[in-house]
Amino acid sequence: MDAEFVALVTRHLRYAGAGAVTAHSRLRDLGLDSMRSIELLFAVEDAYGVTIPDERLTDATFETAGNLWTVLQELATPLPDGTR
Amino acid sequence: MRPVDGDAVATTAAVAERFAATADERAAFPAEALRAMRDTGLLGLLVPTVYGGGGGSVGDVVDATVELGRADLSVALVFAMHCQQVAALARYGGERLREHVLPAVAKGDLYLASVTTETGTGGHLLTSESPVALAGDTLHVDRRAPIVTGGRHADGFLMTVQTPGATTPHQVDLVFAARDQLTVEVLGDWQPLGMRATESVPMRLAGDVPAWQVVGPPGGFRTIAATVFAPLAHVGWSAAWLGTAAGALSRVVGHLRTGKRVDPSAELLRAHLADVRSRLDVVHALLRHTVHVLETAGDTTAAPVQLLVNTLKVRAAEECHRAVDELVDVVGLRHGYLAGSPLRLERALRDLRSASLNYGNDRLRLAGGALVLLDSKVRLA
Repeated sequence: MDAEFVALVTRHLRYAGAGAVTAHSRLRDLGLDSMRSIELLFAVEDAYGVTIPDERLTDATFETAGNLWTVLQELATPLPDGTR
Repeated sequence: MRPVDGDAVATTAAVAERFAATADERAAFPAEALRAMRDTGLLGLLVPTVYGGGGGSVGDVVDATVELGRADLSVALVFAMHCQQVAALARYGGERLREHVLPAVAKGDLYLASVTTETGTGGHLLTSESPVALAGDTLHVDRRAPIVTGGRHADGFLMTVQTPGATTPHQVDLVFAARDQLTVEVLGDWQPLGMRATESVPMRLAGDVPAWQVVGPPGGFRTIAATVFAPLAHVGWSAAWLGTAAGALSRVVGHLRTGKRVDPSAELLRAHLADVRSRLDVVHALLRHTVHVLETAGDTTAAPVQLLVNTLKVRAAEECHRAVDELVDVVGLRHGYLAGSPLRLERALRDLRSASLNYGNDRLRLAGGALVLLDSKVRLA
């Protein structure tokens, strides 16, 4: 997980507190309710230029930061200028 | 094993009906109907046969709840919520907990109440501000709840508490405690508009229980809620409301036919009756379809399934209340509005007014709006 992603996820967690978000952080436990999930979804889709298909928008995808990151990595394609 | 059949339901419904007026008047728990559920085996309907229960399906719970709802909404709600607890135990309880609890439910010795409300969480099911202390293998629970349906009469409780060591209120466990493991205090009165016989009093439950009485893994309530608690609550409540509205229509039709009190050619009357009936048919179709989807869907937490379950709850609450409201217009003030009328529309209307509040329709709409955005293809369940 890159620092940008961690920062982005952390902003949507009411109870992230001082502890660093890791791949194993359980997002629901840290306050990611249904509305915050939508906000996080929109934010990561904007930031990474991807659209997560409906089939991947499951409880499992939003269970941990690592799960969401994995889905993003699968979808993210390199941009023409090679920046991603 | 005692078979659970139509007789068990009919017997319990008959008892419920006999005591419904008194229970409503006194806002007192339907003790006689609970006795009938224990004696007939109905209390064990959802207990798997391996534990001596009826091995019933969600569809069987719906059938029984609708019938009980025709007689007394409070009895139907009490039954449906008990079944919701049994389903959670049967699916997520460890083997030791299941062995400990389910045979007693099947024998009719264990009526289970649900303790999920908290003063501080504003009705949010998935959070808890009730910490527990874990010492060795023992959990010390001290739980206050503003509304515990049937709590004064329950033999055991399933309560939501914070996971031991939780750092946020979103880490929630479901814990079983038998009544004799707890100090049980009733903290106040119950004087509502309707569903009065649920006797949903505020309580404090405190005591020590072994850690194996936690249902599911630590922090596991979220999954239990998504897969069992929420779907069964909404299905069970909807069945109860549908039964009450169907019972009201049945009494009105009987009144209109036997008394020859009306002119059947009156167009307004016929239009109203058709409206009422169609409201019930729509709820019934939605209810049965939802049960089918829950029984066949691979992932019941998928957005289309959750949306369907929420829609059932919201629409059943609205349509059943409106149906009885409309029946009051059909039969008028004397037969429809007076407390002593044998048509009992006044009580049914008061009872059904609670439907939109019993897990708030407004809250479900907000959750639904978020879920709609997760399903851009609109995959209809």
